[in-house]
Amino acid sequence: MVEDKENTANAGQEPVSKKAAKKQAKAAKKAELKAGNAAAAAADEAAGDNAADHAAARYGLSEMIQSKDKRSEREFVLLPELNAQIGKGLFWVRGRVHTSRAKGKQCFLILRQQSSTVQCILAVGDIISKEMVKFAGNIPKESIIDIQAKAVAVPNKIESCTEQSLELFVEQIFVISQAKAQLPLQIEDASRPENADDAEGLNIRVNQDTRLDNRVLDLRTPANQAIFRLEAGVCRLFRDILSDKGFTEIHTPKIISAASEGGANVFTVSYFKDSAYLAQSPQLYKQMAIAADFDKVYTVGAVFRAEDSNTHRHLTEFVGLDLEMAFKYHYHEVLHTIGNTFTAIFKGLRDKYSREIEAVGQQYKVEPFKFLEPPLILNFADGVAMLREAGIETGDEEDLSTPNEKLLGRLVKAKYDTDFYILDKFPLAIRPFYTMPDPNNPMYSNSYDMFMRGEEILSGAQRIHVPEYLIERAKHHGIDTTKIAAYIESFRYGCPPHAGGGIGMERVVMLYLGLDNIRKTSMFPRDPKRLTP
Amino acid sequence: MYELKTLLPQFDIKLPNCMYELRNVSISAGAAPCPEAHKIQCNGAAKSESNNSKSVTCALDLEILGKQIQHLLKNEDTAAVLQRQEKVLKQLEELKAQLAQIREGLNIKVCGKSVQHTTACHNGGLKEVPLHDVVVNGHPNFIPYALLALKNAWRNLYTIDVKTFTHSTLADIGPAAREFEANLAKVAVNEELPKINVTLIWKNCEHTEMISSPTMYVPIYGEVNIIRYLGRVGPVEYRYENSPLCNEIDAVLDICYQLLRCTTHKSQVAMVRLLDKRLNQQQYFGGSEMSVADIGVYSSLIRMPAITDKDLTPALLAWRKRAKLITEI
Repeated sequence: MVEDKENTANAGQEPVSKKAAKKQAKAAKKAELKAGNAAAAAADEAAGDNAADHAAARYGLSEMIQSKDKRSEREFVLLPELNAQIGKGLFWVRGRVHTSRAKGKQCFLILRQQSSTVQCILAVGDIISKEMVKFAGNIPKESIIDIQAKAVAVPNKIESCTEQSLELFVEQIFVISQAKAQLPLQIEDASRPENADDAEGLNIRVNQDTRLDNRVLDLRTPANQAIFRLEAGVCRLFRDILSDKGFTEIHTPKIISAASEGGANVFTVSYFKDSAYLAQSPQLYKQMAIAADFDKVYTVGAVFRAEDSNTHRHLTEFVGLDLEMAFKYHYHEVLHTIGNTFTAIFKGLRDKYSREIEAVGQQYKVEPFKFLEPPLILNFADGVAMLREAGIETGDEEDLSTPNEKLLGRLVKAKYDTDFYILDKFPLAIRPFYTMPDPNNPMYSNSYDMFMRGEEILSGAQRIHVPEYLIERAKHHGIDTTKIAAYIESFRYGCPPHAGGGIGMERVVMLYLGLDNIRKTSMFPRDPKRLTP
Repeated sequence: MYELKTLLPQFDIKLPNCMYELRNVSISAGAAPCPEAHKIQCNGAAKSESNNSKSVTCALDLEILGKQIQHLLKNEDTAAVLQRQEKVLKQLEELKAQLAQIREGLNIKVCGKSVQHTTACHNGGLKEVPLHDVVVNGHPNFIPYALLALKNAWRNLYTIDVKTFTHSTLADIGPAAREFEANLAKVAVNEELPKINVTLIWKNCEHTEMISSPTMYVPIYGEVNIIRYLGRVGPVEYRYENSPLCNEIDAVLDICYQLLRCTTHKSQVAMVRLLDKRLNQQQYFGGSEMSVADIGVYSSLIRMPAITDKDLTPALLAWRKRAKLITEI
């Protein structure tokens, strides 16, 4: 260090030392070389301009597509259907640049379409010029491009792509929409499998908040693509299955004048000169539809809960799948309908969405969801007995705490090997006032909860449909009956006995896939700390 | 041993003489000459026969007997006995109160469960608590017919309430399993009989297995072993552990276990021969009574479609017919 200082100090005064001279000579040589290169490049470019880059028309930035030309002569092929195109000539593909690297006279580009990827090659030759290869190598990741190419089978499988048996030889390449060169997160990092045991593999992760802040990029990962396609599947199956069972879909208002259910907090919104609330459950309206002779109804829609709980399974806005059904004599008619609907949804997912389930499984290692057909129904008292056998002290009329709920889930799984089960006959004391008491034992009620992987997903009951009895029960719970007058009033003109329940779509998807956070299954989640994007 | 003082001695018991007189086994086996009084006690029939040769009534003369008892009760001798009895009862009452106190101290509530099985004192006092809720996992290719056989055989003794489920690892259970389910459902549940709840789950599993309580016991593997378990908690008539045939029944069940694991027809036939040897012209395996061994063999043979009537001996065929009447499969 000291010597260095001396050297620099001396440099100004004395004629250059031997070492410095050498350094200077090197720098000069470098500059010379650089100038030479630049000149050569300039000459090249000039040559390109003059002697014409023979591929100039085959690449470039496409003008903004404003629907000027139809270009209907261009035949586009989807990546999963490429196999049929091997050896057949040229075709077009639109996709995103997953990665691109130019190496000398070749450029390897991986093209992505949703969850499928394919390797593309540009090599300098008769069709492709050096400039074209360079251009392809410099397209920013995630840009959308159109390529014209032909498919060629490869002898060795390409491990890094989903289309492993072929590659594309590109002949034309146009950028349709360019992405920023700097991405807030890399798709590769965001889609890296989460296995904690693998110490050797790259351990770069994208944390949850970065993902959610840049949800548009994050959603492009194969796992996210699969999650939301599966979520759509849950909704579709719910609708299809219930429609087949004779249910009618209804739409209920989300802006309401009074809190529909006691307990949970509601959001207040200003409503002209007054204020209103956001519905925290469509229950009242479902019941009114029953009283209005719709017999069996379901609804899919947003539900709002102003609970300030920052847990892995609470959102302030989520999609509720609710159903309500009139029955003849016993609420088990409804219980079995709901249970069978779930089993049918699970079966539908297992049979029709195996690709998606597998894609999610590649990133998040979880056990496949197991269930029984018909669904397992246990009495609350049996559940308590199982917990006691495992050494947990819990009262007969005590609600299941979250740890007990989870433990019971594990016990049931160990004994019956099912991730889905129904707990029937909850104690009356821990259910809302409108729950019908059990006729045989005043301690219990005609109410049920359903569980997936040990977490509650549905809570339902036979509702009291006789206004006088409803008032009596409300008084017993210390509820001001004037506030729920409208609710009670709706039963005054005759109402069939009915029961129902509701589930949160995000929670069902999360638990079906075995994910650890509900934010992973909500496209743009809302929680107490997040309002954007 | 003590000789008990007879409380009501010297009755003129008139036994009907329409019965044969049996030789007293205990005395002849002991070969010890007994005093006359003792003989009267334990061999009343013999005495009354000799005393009462004149009357040829066909029923006990209750009237005379009643008179004699009345007469005895007036005797002073019985008063003392009554007193003693009173005292003993009082002591028992005290003991009961004492026990209740201890129980209260230990904070044990008196169990409401009234189904107390006699198994408690079997096995050298080892306490066995029968579980009334068990899960059986079975593959539709290896249907546990024993459940149905037991259910039918125990129709009037014990209720096996089977609920069936299909696990998500199986897309379809096939016609045989469906028929089996329907047959299971045919037997009505009799709520008055002691009962065991069985949850049968069709599952893509290698062995038939039984899970009773995941926290307390390990699973039981193999249909034969499930039969053994049910034979232990089921009706007294089918409990074999204390019977002299215990070893024989176990041996037959072991053959069934091997039979189910035979892959070639030749080895299966060899096992059938072994079974024939065990049956040995008896009515049922191990004797003249139906036992769990028969259930095991019967259900194993159903599961082996490769074994046809040709492979069975006449004795086995006849046995099969007998067993079919009871198992109704």
